[in-house]
Formats: sequence, C-alpha cells, structure tokens
Amino acid sequence: MTLRFERNRREFLRAAGGLAAVAALPVSLAACGGSSGGGGGKTLRLVGVADQQKALDELTKLYTQAKFSTSYAPTDQVQTSLRTQLGAGNAPDVHVVYPGNGSAMSMAQIAQAGLLADLSGQSWTQSIPANFKSAFQLQGKTFIYSAGSSVIGAIYNKKVFADAKVEPPKTWSELLQVCDKLKKAGKIPIALGAQTPWVTQLISYALVPSTVYAKNPQFDSQMQAGSTSFAQSGWRDAFNMYLQLQQRGFFNDNPNGTTYEQQTSMVATGKAAMAVQVSAVLPDFRKAATNADDLAMFPFPGADTAANVWIPAGVVVGLGVSARSRNADAAKAFIEFLGRPENINRWAEAVACVPLKRDANSKIDPVLNPFLPFIDDNKAVPFMDQAWPNAEVQPTHFAVVQELLGGKTTVDKALAKMDETYRKKS
Amino acid sequence: MTLTSRRPAGTATARPAARARRAGFLTPPWWFVAPALLVYAAIVLYPSVSGIVYAFTDWSGIGDKSFNGLANFQHLLSDDQARSALLHTLLLTVTIVIVQNGVGLLLALGVNARIKSRTVLRVVFFAPVVVSPVMIAFLWKYVYNPDPKAGINGILGMLGLSDLRQDWLGNPSLVVWSIAGMVVWQYAGYSMVIFLAGLEGIPAELREAAMIDGAGRFQQFRYVTWPLLAPSLTINVMLSTIGGLKLFDQVYAATGGGPGYSSETLSTVLYKQAFVFGKYGYSTAIALVLALFVAAVSLVQIYYLRGREVGV
Amino acid sequence: MNHLRYGLRTFALEIVMIVVGLAFLFPVYALVVLSLKDSKQIASSPLSPPTSPTLGNFSRAWSSASLGSALLNSTLITIASLVCLIALGSFAAYFLARCASRLGYGLYVLFLLGIVLPFQLGMIPLFKLVDHLGLLGTYQGIIVFYTGIQLPFTVFLYTGFIRALPRDYANAALIDGASHLTAFTRVVFPLLRPITGTVLILNAVFIWNDFFTPLLYLGGSAKETVPVRIFSFVGQYVSDYGLVFAGLVLAALPIIVVFLVLQRYVIRGFASGLKG
Repeated sequence: MTLRFERNRREFLRAAGGLAAVAALPVSLAACGGSSGGGGGKTLRLVGVADQQKALDELTKLYTQAKFSTSYAPTDQVQTSLRTQLGAGNAPDVHVVYPGNGSAMSMAQIAQAGLLADLSGQSWTQSIPANFKSAFQLQGKTFIYSAGSSVIGAIYNKKVFADAKVEPPKTWSELLQVCDKLKKAGKIPIALGAQTPWVTQLISYALVPSTVYAKNPQFDSQMQAGSTSFAQSGWRDAFNMYLQLQQRGFFNDNPNGTTYEQQTSMVATGKAAMAVQVSAVLPDFRKAATNADDLAMFPFPGADTAANVWIPAGVVVGLGVSARSRNADAAKAFIEFLGRPENINRWAEAVACVPLKRDANSKIDPVLNPFLPFIDDNKAVPFMDQAWPNAEVQPTHFAVVQELLGGKTTVDKALAKMDETYRKKS
Repeated sequence: MTLTSRRPAGTATARPAARARRAGFLTPPWWFVAPALLVYAAIVLYPSVSGIVYAFTDWSGIGDKSFNGLANFQHLLSDDQARSALLHTLLLTVTIVIVQNGVGLLLALGVNARIKSRTVLRVVFFAPVVVSPVMIAFLWKYVYNPDPKAGINGILGMLGLSDLRQDWLGNPSLVVWSIAGMVVWQYAGYSMVIFLAGLEGIPAELREAAMIDGAGRFQQFRYVTWPLLAPSLTINVMLSTIGGLKLFDQVYAATGGGPGYSSETLSTVLYKQAFVFGKYGYSTAIALVLALFVAAVSLVQIYYLRGREVGV
Repeated sequence: MNHLRYGLRTFALEIVMIVVGLAFLFPVYALVVLSLKDSKQIASSPLSPPTSPTLGNFSRAWSSASLGSALLNSTLITIASLVCLIALGSFAAYFLARCASRLGYGLYVLFLLGIVLPFQLGMIPLFKLVDHLGLLGTYQGIIVFYTGIQLPFTVFLYTGFIRALPRDYANAALIDGASHLTAFTRVVFPLLRPITGTVLILNAVFIWNDFFTPLLYLGGSAKETVPVRIFSFVGQYVSDYGLVFAGLVLAALPIIVVFLVLQRYVIRGFASGLKG
C-alpha cells in the first residue's frame, strides 16, 4: 500500500486539484446572488413566517440603516429550519418568535435557552398593556417585538345572515337560535375546517374566555401551581358546547376531512354563514369572496348573559433578535424602528390586527370594532397556549379535538390527556 | 437489459483468493476510493455518529443539554403515541408492500402483452414516480376532498355510487388506507417497471415449452413466470418495505398525522418530537431505533428472499 | 399472454388496460382542470372541463413564486451534484469491486450503512459543519451535501455493476503499461454507460425534488430551488386551489418533460438500477 501511495501521490494531488477546481466553479456563479432591501449599513438576515411578509416588505423598504436578506415560509417550515439553525448556533439576526410560551418557537422557550437578546430598554416596550406582559416578557425582561393583538371571533357573511333574517348573537342561547334559523334556511351555520390542525383550537379558544377566565381570572396561575386542572375547569363546558354545536348539525359534514381552505371558501361564497377564526386571516376570506364587504366579524359568545362574555385576544406573531447575532446592535436598532408608533400602525394595518397602542393615526379594520370594548374593559384573554408550560399541550389539544369530532374519544378522556401533557416537564 | 447481463454476478465475486493475490498490481490504487470516502465521512458518517450522542441526552434542540443515560429509550417503551405510530407504520408498510406490488405485477403483465397502447400506458403508469411525493400529497388532498362534488366523491356521484362517498382523510378509521392508496398510486408504476424488466428477461422458449407441455395460461404463470420473477420480487419487496417504514413526506403533507393521532407514523412522531415538541434527544433515540429496525428487516428480507431465488 | 396474433383476447385486455389507465390519470385530470379555472368556476363545478379556460393562474404563479431563477438554481445544483456523484462514485466503486482484500469489503459495507441511516440523525451536526465551513447559502455547500448523501446509493449501484463486468479489458490495458487512471477513464468508464444512466436518473429525481435540504441550506438566499419556492408559494395562497395547482403544474413540468423525452432510458434506468 505504501509503495503504491508514493507512486500515485502525484496523480492523486492532480485529481484533488481538479476537484477543487470543480468546487470553485460555482463560486463565481454564486456571486450573482444578491440580497434585498435599500440603504447602506450592515446586512441583516431576517427569517419570518409567510403572514409577516406583507408588513415586513413594507417596513424593510422604509428602513435605511441596514440591508436585509429576508426569507419567509409557512409556519411548519420556518419552525423546522429555524430550530435547526438555532440548535446549530447559527440563528438569523432577526427571526420570527411566537408570543408567550407553549410552542417550540415561543418567546419563553427560546429565551430560556438564552438565545434571544433582551429588548427591555427600547421605548416602545412602555406601551405593552399589563394583561399582555406575559406574552412579551420572561422574568421581567422583554424578548419579543409584536405590533398588536388579533382576536378570535366569528367571521360571518352578512348577506347570508340578512337572507335568513338573523342578527349577530350576543349570548350562547341566541347563538344556538341563530344557527337553527340558518340551518332551516338551508345554509351551513358554522364552517369548520378541522383537517387543518390549528383550526381545531379556535372554537375552544373562543369559548374558554367566557367559560373559564370570566369566572376565574386566576386560572393560569392556579394551573401553574397545580391547584386546578383542565378537567375541573370551564374547559369541560367549552368542550361540551363545542360538541353540542356538532350534535345539533351546525357544522358542515366531515369537519375532520375539511381543510382551512375549504372552510374559507364556504363562508366567502355564502354556502356557510360563519366560521370561528382569528382576525388575522380576514385577508384570505376577503380574497375568496365575491364582495369583500359581505364579510364582518362578531365576538363568539360563550356565556348566557352578555355581560359574562369574554373574548380571546392574542398578541400576534412577532420578531426577536438573536442573542448570538454578530449584528445585534443593528438588529436591535431595526426593532426600535419597528416600535415607533407610526410603524406599529403600519404593521397592524398590514396584518389587520389591533395595534399595541391605539392613537389618532391607527387605522383599525372596521370589522374589528365590536371587539374593542372587550379589550378596553379587560375582558380579553391572551390565546390559551401562550400560558402553557410546554410545546406539547397545544398539539395535544388539536389532536383531542379531532378525536372528539371523529367520535373517537370522550370529553373526560380528552381533558385527562391535556392535563397529563400539561404536567409533563418542558 | 442489464438485468440479464448481470445475473452471473454471484459467480464473479466468488473467485479464488489465490488469483486475487496474483493479480495484486491489477487492483486499482487506494486513492480511487479516497475522495468519495472523504466526502461520505464528512457528510454522512461524522454527523451521524456525533448525532447519536443526542439520543442519550435531554436536549431540547436549543440551549444546554445533559446526559440522561438510557432514559429516552425507556420512555420509548412506555410511550403510547410511539406505540400506535409503530402500529400504523407496520400497517401501512404491509399494505403498501402487498398492494403496490400486486398492482405493479398486474400492470406489468398487462403492458407486457401485445396491446397497442403498451408504450403509452407504461409512461402513464410510471410518470408519478418522478414527481415529488409532497406535490403528490397536495394533489391527493384535493382528490380526497369530502366535498360531494369534488375529487373521488365527485366521480362516485357521477357513477351513481353516491353511497360510497367517504371522508377519506377525515375519518380516523379510513385515513391510513387512504394514505396507502395515495402511495400505491404514486409507486405502483415503479414496481411495474421492475417486474417488466424481469418479464423481459424470461426466455420466450421457456413459456413456449410450457405451452407445448399443455400448460394453461394460469399454470404457465404459476410454474414458469412467477418463479423466474423472484429476483424482481426481491427488489420490489425490499424497496417498498424500506419506503413504507420510513414514510414521512406523504403523511406529513396530507394529514400531519391526524385526525387525532390516527395516521401518525414513526417518522412523523420523530419529526414532531424534534421540531414541534422540542425534544431533540428523544427524537434522536426514535431515529436510532427506526434505523436499526429498517436495517434488521432488510437483512431478514435479503436472507429469506435471496434464499428463495437460489431455490429456483 | 405473449400471443403473436392480436386476437379478441388481446383486444379485451387492451380495453381493460386503457380504462385502468384513464382511471389512473384522474388525479392528473383534476390537477390540470383546476389549474385552468378561476376560484368561482372551481366552487361551482370543480370537475367539469373548464368552460372558459384561463392561463391567468399560471402567469400569477410563475411571477409570485419567482420560478424563473428557481429553475436555474435547481438545474445548476442538480447537474453539478450529478457530475460530482458520478466522478466520485464510479472511481470508488471500481476500487471496491476490484479490491479483493477484507479492507475493500469493509469499506463497501461502510458505504452501504449510509443507505439505512436516517438523515435526521446527523442533521444538526452536519448543519454546524456546513456553517463552520462558511458554505451556508452557497451552491458548493448543497452540492457537497448531495454528493455525500447520495454516495452510498451510487456506490452500491456502480459496485454491483462493475463486479459483473469482465476484468479482461482493463487488465489488458494495464499490462500494456497504461496507468490505472487511464485504464479506468478510457476503458472501464465507457463500459459503465448503462449504470451511469441509472445513477444519473435516480439521483436527478431525488435531488430535483428534494425540499428540506435546500430550505435549510439555501432558504432566504437568492439560490432557492423550485420546491422551496413552490412550497412557500403554496403556503401563501393555500385558499386558492387554481393558483396553487398551477404552481404545482409549473414545478412538476420540467421533470415530467425530461421524463417524457427520455422515457425509454428513465424507465430502463429505474428498472435495472436496483438489481443488486
């Protein structure tokens, strides 16, 4: 072997040289690639979810202190590639972060691992409302920027409502009557696209503020202390109400085989009267509608007295700065820029959410008006997963709702499963 | 076809050691293999070996980690979700192996006959193989749409078979079979071309001899064609088994494991553990067990099916 | 069934097979028909042939997914990876097939190990490595990745083929005083053409369709491949079936066209390559 090695070493080196040349070839081609964004300064690498693209396209263009190399992809894909990048110690300078806790890309999970830069000093953080602090902060420090909150409620087709001569209901029993009339008028009262996992949670989330938090605002801290459980709480009522809607035939057939896209088109085309959804998807519904003005929203009432109806209003998906970023200062400066009132308004308008702090220049989508009194009266609760201690509870919730709709489990078992998952250590 | 030229491979490798030694200088130099080995070691071996370490830690995928011995593997034994995923994986694999190869064989026999449309049909049946499985899943999500006017349900309605309409992906008892159907649709053509290559390698004289001996059509298949297809069957069974056990893209894109947990496979569970639940260490442990399992099943199959070939 | 005459039986079989073929094409029909309709036509009559077909979905999909540059990227990456794979794989396999020692066999088994190892196992360490080498977001990084990840399979195919090949030609050249390099490149490699075709086709299909790796290694750069662009596009326009299906048609078209042009070779490649 050694002899042959000597004899052939030159040939090997020559071959290796050839390989190196092959490898070098694409370098010159690579130079053709570029990065987007205007202005001078450093180039910031930014990874966001598809929902953020519209807002960020506008705002990165306005910002002149840095260049940007941006990429956007749907949630699943971003989650996978970002987790890998974070795990390998190569995070983008600015990246999507979900508020609160409860998912693998949530503020609390990433901040606990020491991978998010502290944004506490920035002036916009002063405008975070008290009831949203837990979504933005971990141990008193702010780690995520977000422009505001979106609400969950019923997106409904006004024409279908008018044709059936019904008005948006204010209480649970009114809701049932309205659904009954819509059904008699030959419409699907509530479109449900439960094949798309995240859609399954929306009806629970719409009901739980009234069935749980209106009665016991301390529920989250009691859960953390272990002194209560999903099974002992109004979650049981919420699940029963959810199933009641199904048993009365108020959903489309086969919700487990129906996707979010089909749900959207059912309401937009007037085949169904409403869908319980998060306000951030209004643009999708409007795109699919013959006339975008046919669509409006009302708070989905989870209680029998109007005064006891609370609503879910969650902080929208935001951005964080990587703690390991070599451009951390430039990245933080960009966040500071996003935090200016006019830019919070721009972002909020682009994603149809309620800005963090409303001022004279805030353009709030008029269909959100019925929700504003709830927010102002502190009858709005952050999305439930934002307070859950680990990333498994939310997917468990998706799965048990699908099982409930498919008749594969009972409310007792579903709640027990969620409790069990909640108590797993993160 | 290469098939026929390469059958004697077994004899060529089993040459006497003495001859090999004599032919020493005829052996290519080591650097022929060095560049490949280097790249392979850097891209596959080194990362995999260092990745195995995570299986013995509680790493979340980000931040700090600490070793927890065999805890992940112990947890795997008592994990209901992993157990039902294993069950779905096996069910899918067995179904796919049987149906895909059965359909593939029938298609191969069909287009091997002297029908005029054989070339076109061969292309038609094979075409889905070259398309990405994720795209196929997107398409089939529409085909499996529960809407009575769309997809398969629409066709059933037109055929007057409205009673057979199903919620293909939404019915927890049906979803695994629906996914198997989609996979079979994509890969039956693959099995078909491998069987075709086998059929083309069967000398016409053999079948003619059988005919002269008075064998009927079925007997001819049973005693001539089928035994001589054994090598093709080996390849087909192995490929579909490995594909079935590792099935991920199609399931993830079509149902994400739902409704509930009813279509979760080992690969979707290990993906979710790593990237959705933030349990990278546990996910690696599942990946390791899956790899060992696939390797073991492949070895057993090679041993059994190759033995059958020699018997022929 | 190999009758020489085209009898009634064959005709019946022909009819059966054509019906099966048409049924088999149903999903493709749905794909094409939907991509030619706007959302209102889809909602009212999804499966009927389009009354007023529109190509609007296609032009919108093409521009919003910026498929032009993605096609270039995919082509470049696929071709460069194939060149590396064939160069490294054939040389290595020649050694492994011709080396009688235990070392040769051991190395062969070592390569085969790569076929069963799930890529998830090494994903994070490999990403770290590529990052340290400064190859993230570059063509070289992903080309080296594909070369490495597909080598086991390539080596497996080549080794099996070379083992069945007579040694005499190469030996004659060596005895005549040619170097191993010359003997391999001039004499052996041309004989490998059938299996090289197989290697090309199987790897090309894998590399062209791969989605996760380019997302991880090229995401956000200007070098994103077709699947990455198309899925981020699908993610944005999920509710518009016509548009999404037009995007899928556009993304699948290049490989389908190549397949149709080369169908004889492609089918032979798939069929013969896997005879171990």
